[in-house]
Amino acid sequence: MIEVENLKKYYSVFRREPGLKNSLKALFRRHTTEVKAVDGLSFHISEGKRVGFLGPNGAGKTTTLKMLSGLLYPSGGKVLVDGHLPHKRETSFLKKIILVMGQKQQLLWDLPPLETLELNRAIYEVPMPVFRKRLGELTELLGIGPQLRTPTRQLSLGERMKCELAAGLIHGPKLLFLDEPTIGLDVSMQQTIREFIRSYNEREGATLILTSHNMDDVEALCPRILVIDKGRLLFDGSVAELVAQVKPEKRIGLRFEGSSLPENLEAYGRVISAGAGEAILQLGLGEVSEVLGQLLTRFAIKDLTVENPPLEEVMSELFSKHALTRNEEAAEFS
Amino acid sequence: MSGVLRLLGASMWRYFKLLGIQLKASLLLSMQYRADFFIDAVISLFWAATAIAPLWVVYGDKVQGKIPGWSLGEAMLVVGCFVFLQTVLDGAIQPSLQTVVEHIRKGTLDFVLLKPADAQFLVSTARFQPWKASSFLASLVIFAVAFARLGFWPSLGNWAQGALLLLLAVVLLYSLWIWVVSAAFIVVKVDNLTFLLSSVFDIGRWPSSVFRGILRWVFTFVIPTALMTTFPAKALLGVLSWAELGLAVVCTVIFAVVSRWVWLRSIRRYTSASS
Amino acid sequence: MKRLLKMLPSLLRVGFAENIAYRAEMLIWVLATTMPFVMMVLWRSVAEHFPIVGGMGQTLGPLQMTHYFLAVFVVRQVVSAWAAWEMNFEIRQGTLSMRLLKPLSPLISYAVNGLTGLPLRLVVALPVLLIFFLLGGLRDGAEYRLFFLLPLALLGGWLIVLFAHMSIGSLAVFTGSSIRIMEVWMAAFFVFSGYLFPLDLFPDWLASIGDVLPFRYQLGFPVQLLTLSLRMEDALILLGKQWLWVVALGSLTGLLWRKGVRRFEAFGG
Repeated sequence: MIEVENLKKYYSVFRREPGLKNSLKALFRRHTTEVKAVDGLSFHISEGKRVGFLGPNGAGKTTTLKMLSGLLYPSGGKVLVDGHLPHKRETSFLKKIILVMGQKQQLLWDLPPLETLELNRAIYEVPMPVFRKRLGELTELLGIGPQLRTPTRQLSLGERMKCELAAGLIHGPKLLFLDEPTIGLDVSMQQTIREFIRSYNEREGATLILTSHNMDDVEALCPRILVIDKGRLLFDGSVAELVAQVKPEKRIGLRFEGSSLPENLEAYGRVISAGAGEAILQLGLGEVSEVLGQLLTRFAIKDLTVENPPLEEVMSELFSKHALTRNEEAAEFS
Repeated sequence: MSGVLRLLGASMWRYFKLLGIQLKASLLLSMQYRADFFIDAVISLFWAATAIAPLWVVYGDKVQGKIPGWSLGEAMLVVGCFVFLQTVLDGAIQPSLQTVVEHIRKGTLDFVLLKPADAQFLVSTARFQPWKASSFLASLVIFAVAFARLGFWPSLGNWAQGALLLLLAVVLLYSLWIWVVSAAFIVVKVDNLTFLLSSVFDIGRWPSSVFRGILRWVFTFVIPTALMTTFPAKALLGVLSWAELGLAVVCTVIFAVVSRWVWLRSIRRYTSASS
Repeated sequence: MKRLLKMLPSLLRVGFAENIAYRAEMLIWVLATTMPFVMMVLWRSVAEHFPIVGGMGQTLGPLQMTHYFLAVFVVRQVVSAWAAWEMNFEIRQGTLSMRLLKPLSPLISYAVNGLTGLPLRLVVALPVLLIFFLLGGLRDGAEYRLFFLLPLALLGGWLIVLFAHMSIGSLAVFTGSSIRIMEVWMAAFFVFSGYLFPLDLFPDWLASIGDVLPFRYQLGFPVQLLTLSLRMEDALILLGKQWLWVVALGSLTGLLWRKGVRRFEAFGG
């Protein structure tokens, strides 16, 4: 479905220095620097898969997404999406895809979303019976019956995102690019959106690429993740593999009888947090069963959980390691 | 007494400094758009030309006409005053009007009202467009050409009178603007109010003698464009009577006082209405 | 083309609905285009005292001046476009990308949007047109067949405005904002289109400059047709020149737009 080889996108940007004097100078001369937004990415994604792009701000996620959807022209490398060169934006290609951005919307602001859907029906040439059927499904799945007839400006952020998805999916795209689809939404709305996206993927067999800051999104939706930093691919695999590779540790949540804690808890593992009768310990992967056995025999334990470290921490560790190796590389050259 | 004066002086000084800060911020903002710097100068020349062009055609060879009671040079003075005031309107008044409209729409005006300074002052000085100042030059050129045609220069007294009347005109324009802003509190969508204000002001292009009967009265007392452009031009020509001068002063004071009152009322309305 | 015709009803309907939603703004905008009336006052006052002779030797008295500027108002309502502002806004906000990803050229959607504003503007323009005819006194023995050229001339005028808007709108990709360029265009339009005074009254050397610029074909020419102040043969020549401008500006739009999109693809929005 998607083939990307050694994809690159370089920009030259203006540098602007603060202060009145410098901006006066900038009137006549501007300094430019080259920014490597995407610097040699390669990956393949096959049809019907759900893949998440992860990375800090400015990592190149959105840039990659824009090159895949045909909005940006690559500086180098190869992109092939379902047999099309995206940047040509052929009608047949555009009818297969949709890009939904959490921060930019296509809904007409002062009209009910239904009007935008109607507009898209005409533009994407969706036959009327198909349109009616899809509209019915989308309305039911998203629960947006009344909202479709309310002017967009009067909708809440979450309702707007649902309608945005409906407007994007009315032509039945087989490839979805979602850029921060849950940004600014509350937790339950995030969940609704996630479930809807997953069910769309399963029902229609559509391929899905998602970027998000929200690790929960990625963990819940994407069996495969691509971690990108500074335009390069750091990791390609499942969440479990990522954790095993970067932070091969487990977190054990303990609840003791009574409100006091045993005194020498540090002896069993690193104490992440400790409260009244509760504590979280971090252990290396190999030690888990042994330490658990010891704990259970020595203390009265009411409840116990074993979890992976939170993905946020895994990621920040990955990026700090990456930054470190880059610095070392740089040091070698200087 | 001296204590009051000192206090007044101190607060004037504070507002003066505030004005400086706001101006500087606007200047920095404008610096970001370098193409505007060059183009604005050209644009102001173009607009000045559009203000002069109709007169030029009226008095030109083909028509050989005249606005009753005004020679070309004299009528040009009116246009000069018009261009001068339009600069004030475009450079200082419209941009802040836009800012207020934006504030009201987004509901961020509350932050302005919470600041420990007079809200009217803050709102009025929120945004300037320094590049527009280039059209001050255009108005000076028009004045110079007009007097060159007339073949005399105004006396010092006439200069002073003209400057005074232009100052009054700025106050009048500002008062009208406060009314428009107050309207923005009541009507919700007012993006185009800026259009409306400047198109009303367009009437000030011509000496007020082109209007007859009721219209002349309207454009003197209701929308005082005659006071804003015709009177200053007359002052520069030295033909403004003391009665007219008095009228201008009285009208301006009334407009200013009423506008302050309207502003305070609409602010009260706004703060009591929003939860 | 066949695709477009099939889409058109929906595009027009939704565009019109959007304009209805913005009717208050539209009304204020129309009210703000009072310049023709400001000019009318000036020219009536002059015409009362001085005999003014038009391009065909006809007298331009206060009534003819009123005719002229009412016609200017009406034509201006017909030949208006918003595309430059719309494009400028969308390019700055980056929402142009949303349009680019649809299987319909953004230029067409801008054009359709412009067209759908027309009915509302006509609501204001038609009463003025009615007054124009009720005033009477369009010259006796005038060439009434000029009215038949009017639809074509109005279409040509509108296309010139639209293409100019789109060309200037495309420039926003390069300069960040093309509002200023639009202002220059507007100022030149004021002087050279006949918006401020009948073109016949221009000094000859300026009239010859105005002749080779597009502005008079936007507004002045349809106004001349409406006020019946042209000879048929001159009218046909002007119509030909007008459509040359339509073709020229249309090609310019295509060129600038393609360049603009290519740059947008390189830098993103």
